[in-house]
Amino acid sequence: MKRLIGSVTLLLVLCCYMWSCEKDDLCATDTPTTPSLLIEFYASDNPAAPNPVTNLRYFVEGSKDTIFIKGSAAKIRVPLRVDGTSTKWGLILYTNPNGVDTYNTDFLEFKYTTTQVYVSRACGFKTLFKLDDPTAPNPVLTDGDKTLWIDEADIVNTNVETEEKAHVKIYF
Amino acid sequence: MLKFIFKLVLLVSFSVAAQQTPKKGKDIAKPADSLAVPVKTENYGLRVGIDLYRPSRAFYDDGFKGFEVVADYRVRKKTYAAAEAGTVDYTYDDYRLNYTTTGSYLKAGLDFNMYDNWLDMENMVYLGLRYGAASFSQNLNSYKIYQNSAIGTNPETNAASTNYFDEVTVKTDKKYGGLSAQWVEVVAGLKAKLFNNIYLGFSVRINALVANKKPAGFDNLYIPGFNRTYDGNFGAGFNYTLSYLIPVKKKQVLPKEKEVKKKK
Repeated sequence: MKRLIGSVTLLLVLCCYMWSCEKDDLCATDTPTTPSLLIEFYASDNPAAPNPVTNLRYFVEGSKDTIFIKGSAAKIRVPLRVDGTSTKWGLILYTNPNGVDTYNTDFLEFKYTTTQVYVSRACGFKTLFKLDDPTAPNPVLTDGDKTLWIDEADIVNTNVETEEKAHVKIYF
Repeated sequence: MLKFIFKLVLLVSFSVAAQQTPKKGKDIAKPADSLAVPVKTENYGLRVGIDLYRPSRAFYDDGFKGFEVVADYRVRKKTYAAAEAGTVDYTYDDYRLNYTTTGSYLKAGLDFNMYDNWLDMENMVYLGLRYGAASFSQNLNSYKIYQNSAIGTNPETNAASTNYFDEVTVKTDKKYGGLSAQWVEVVAGLKAKLFNNIYLGFSVRINALVANKKPAGFDNLYIPGFNRTYDGNFGAGFNYTLSYLIPVKKKQVLPKEKEVKKKK
C-alpha cells in the first residue's frame, strides 16, 4: 500500500510537471528564423576592400520607422517583407564634410519569391527568400534626392536562408 | 446467567458487524468460528463506461469535442484487461499557430488492483499499462511568421528596436492527413463502487511515444488519446469515468488455505 501511494504521488507530480512546465512555449532566440538580407559595403575604387559606413539610417519607402546603425558598420542586416515579393529600402548615407551634416538617400528595391517553412510550436513559421535573377535587374537602384551615392549593388547569393554570408555587396 | 451470556454474545456479534472487519483472521478468527462466516462473493464481469471529463470540457472549451468509452474485464482476482477508445476534434489557438486535430484512438492493456477489499466491497486502486494507437489528421488554420526583424537601436531613445515589420498572420487551410502515432502509457487510478454495479473512476496517465508519423513541413502538435506533444516523447492525460458492471459470474471466496488446514 505504501508503495502504491508512493507511485501514485510520483505519477501525479510528473503529470503536474508536464502540464505546468512548458519549456517549448518560448521561441529560443538562437533558433534560426526568418533571415534578413546581409549587405556588405565595399569601396568602388578598390572592390576587395571593405568600406564601412558611418551612422547609416535606412527605412522602407512609405514607412516612418527608420533603422539607425550607430557608429561605423561594414555590413548591415536588412529585413525583407514576408508578405510580399519586393521591398524597397531607402539608405541614407551620412557624411560630415567641413563640419556640415550631409545626408544622401538612395533607394534599392529587392525582388524575390518567398517560401514559408515550419519551425516549431513556439516559433511558428519562418520565411525563406530567393532573390530574383540579378540581371532582371535586381536590385533596382533609384535616387532619392539629387545625387546617387551607391555606384553599384550586386547580388552575390540569391538564396536568403541564413545570415552567415553576404547576399548583396554595395560599392560606393 | 444464561440471559447474561446471551446478551454478551449479541453484543459481540453486533460489534463485529459494526466493525465489518473479519479481515484474514487473527483477532476475529475466534469469534468467526462461533459465528457463521459471511460468504464473500466476487463479481467477475465486463465493466463498460464513459468518460465524463471529455464531454464536460466541451462546455468551457469551445475548441474541444471529445468522447471516450472505457471497458475492463476481470481476468483474475487482481488482474483486469482494460481498454479505452475515443474520438477527438480539437482546435487549439496556440500563440503562433492555430490548428485542428481530428481523429480516433484505441488503448489496450492491463490493470492490477492493489487494494484489499473488505467483505463484498469491490473498489479498485490500481496501476496499469496500456499500448495506445491513434489515427488522425491535422488542419493548419493559420500561422504567424517569426520575423526577427529587430535591427539597430532607436535613434531617439537609443533603446533596442522592435520588429521593423508588423506581425504577419497567414490564413491557410492546409490539411495534413494520414497521420498516426503509437505510445505506451502508465496508468494510476481508482474505481469506487457507488451503488449496485455502478462505478466512478479516475485515472492519471503518463505517455511515451513509440512511433510518430509526422507530416512533411509540419509537426504533430496534438495526438488524439496522447494529448499535447512536447519536445521530448512524453505526454500526460487523465480521465474521469462512470461505468456499469455487467456481472458474468460470481465466485465464492473460500477462507484462506491456512485456516482450512487448521480446522482439519
